[in-house]
Amino acid sequence: MKKLIVFFVFSVCVNSFSQNKQILYNFTSVPQSLLTNPGSDVKYNWFVGVPLLSGFSANVSSSSFSAFDLFANNGVDFNAKLRNVVFSTSRNDKVSMNEQLEIFSGGFKLGDWQSNSYISFGMYQELDVLTYMPKDYAILALDGNKDYLGKVFDMGDLNARGELLSVFHLGYHKKVNEKLILGVRGKIYSSIFNVTSTKNSGYFYTIQGTNSIYNQVISVNAMVKTSGLTNYIDNYSGNAKSDIIKKTFLGGNLGLGFDFGLTYYPKENLQFTASLIDIGFISHTKEIESYRLKGYYNYVGLTPDFILGNINDIVQDFKNAIPLDTLHTKYTTWRPVKFNSSIQYSFGDGRSSECNCDGNEVKYTNSVGAQLFVMSTPRTPLMALTAYYKRQIFDSLEMKATYTIDSFTSKNIGLGLSTTLAKVNFYILADNLLEYKDISKANSLSFQLGFNIIFPDKNSPD
Amino acid sequence: MQYSQLITVMNKFLRIFILSIFFLSCSSDLDFNQVNDLKLEPVVVANLATFDVQANKFVVGGVEQPLTGDVMDFNFFNYTNFNDRLKRADFYFEFNNTINRDFKINLIFLNANNSPLFTIPFDIPANSTFTKTEIFENAKLDVLKQTKKVAFVITLLPGTTLTDSSLGSLKLRSNAILYFVIQ
Repeated sequence: MKKLIVFFVFSVCVNSFSQNKQILYNFTSVPQSLLTNPGSDVKYNWFVGVPLLSGFSANVSSSSFSAFDLFANNGVDFNAKLRNVVFSTSRNDKVSMNEQLEIFSGGFKLGDWQSNSYISFGMYQELDVLTYMPKDYAILALDGNKDYLGKVFDMGDLNARGELLSVFHLGYHKKVNEKLILGVRGKIYSSIFNVTSTKNSGYFYTIQGTNSIYNQVISVNAMVKTSGLTNYIDNYSGNAKSDIIKKTFLGGNLGLGFDFGLTYYPKENLQFTASLIDIGFISHTKEIESYRLKGYYNYVGLTPDFILGNINDIVQDFKNAIPLDTLHTKYTTWRPVKFNSSIQYSFGDGRSSECNCDGNEVKYTNSVGAQLFVMSTPRTPLMALTAYYKRQIFDSLEMKATYTIDSFTSKNIGLGLSTTLAKVNFYILADNLLEYKDISKANSLSFQLGFNIIFPDKNSPD
Repeated sequence: MQYSQLITVMNKFLRIFILSIFFLSCSSDLDFNQVNDLKLEPVVVANLATFDVQANKFVVGGVEQPLTGDVMDFNFFNYTNFNDRLKRADFYFEFNNTINRDFKINLIFLNANNSPLFTIPFDIPANSTFTKTEIFENAKLDVLKQTKKVAFVITLLPGTTLTDSSLGSLKLRSNAILYFVIQ
């Protein structure tokens, strides 16, 4: 139980995200795979996700250090561990967290059994946080500037975003012909809160001077934008719970987005897929408060001019040169765009020795494939490459094993299982399985599970 | 395969899978309370005061001024967070006197009522370089933290009278080394 608590505490306190769902992607026995590619080859007569249980996923990633590195109960002074972490990371190391909870979902086939068009819809809540390591700020806090004469501290090291939002979506996919399936999904975002500080710049340095002991210059252009939080910063008298529920159901800052995807079979046993997810924006117009620090100041210290009456107030000079402004201007944030693609080769005849009454559709037992995932971030895009093996173990049990390389880890083994007993589909997906032997040392962890009720697609009119 | 068999197999499969994730997984002993041990000890260096007074500045209307001075606001100690975390301050002064006269300089720290808290005296001989470091800790630092203004008072000591054409300057470069402890 302690481990579980640690896991959840860690996943809540540490920032996380990484929206690569390499196990779910193209895992077509799970209807939620449509969220990673609206053009997935998913067939159903209708399905409904068990409310609140149809999909839950959480992911925590840190590209450079683990919970163990900071919080190990090993007698080493915490400050020594903190120094180790700070000095072993670079400004491009990131900590990320993503959590998604499906509130409801469902889908149905349009028309009769001969039709090849499907609708899917639903709503989910998503928490998304990405923080880069503010390395130069950390050095200043740990050591100050005394031992760093000549170093230029980069004020752009502050780079973070966090958002809680709910998403309403409606998707449509159609088997255009035997070889091609196309899909599109429209989304309405309702942002519950947003914090964005991703376009900061500036520098601070101290070098030996001539007329004064040092030349000390600070130049900064930093901005922290927030929406949905002003009520809680100032004296708050409302009901936070009902506020959040209201904002979840389209009462927040609204945005619009689209997903596109396709599945293409050049041959019967060869499959190519691609999708673009979350091409969209959120317009922040309500409860906005932004803080801007902008200016340039060359600090020389007290400069007596020996002329009586001249006022020489350094603190005020600094505040005038680099004012902190509170703004209430609207702003727009773009959703992180995700690109997925896969190529898959299938082999082995899945028709069991028992009766195959399903008709003439060939079902292969085994598939191997490769996937590519790219996601936009405030700096260089995040990329992941996955190799996978998928197997239909029984008619009702499908398994997918993945091996993924990304910037967080180079030995990420994942496993997904999807079973459909009667009409109840249950799936569980987890990656970084090697890390579970000591989760406190993991750089990245994610899992996802859910229940659906699926009425399978029919190939005959009965 | 029988349906019941299938369920048994699958149950087993899933159980192992889920158990292996949640209960067979291990975690090293972590102690999040260590955050309370956080102690930052940055050391910050900054300019303190700088001036460069030409010899002829001591002559007004052809008459040498024996006393020159300036009073300045010193607002750094207005901030409680700053004061609470400052544990030690070293002030370093470096005078370079190229004027052919001896000087006595007093740096006076004043409180809100313009009363002197204490004075750092400097005796600077003619044509010389003079350095001094003043360290503030404990009670001495507590007095320093009441400072609201500082005054430089320059006294010309007897010697060859300065004129408008006298050469040289009295130069000061100084810095502060501030030791903070943030807990």
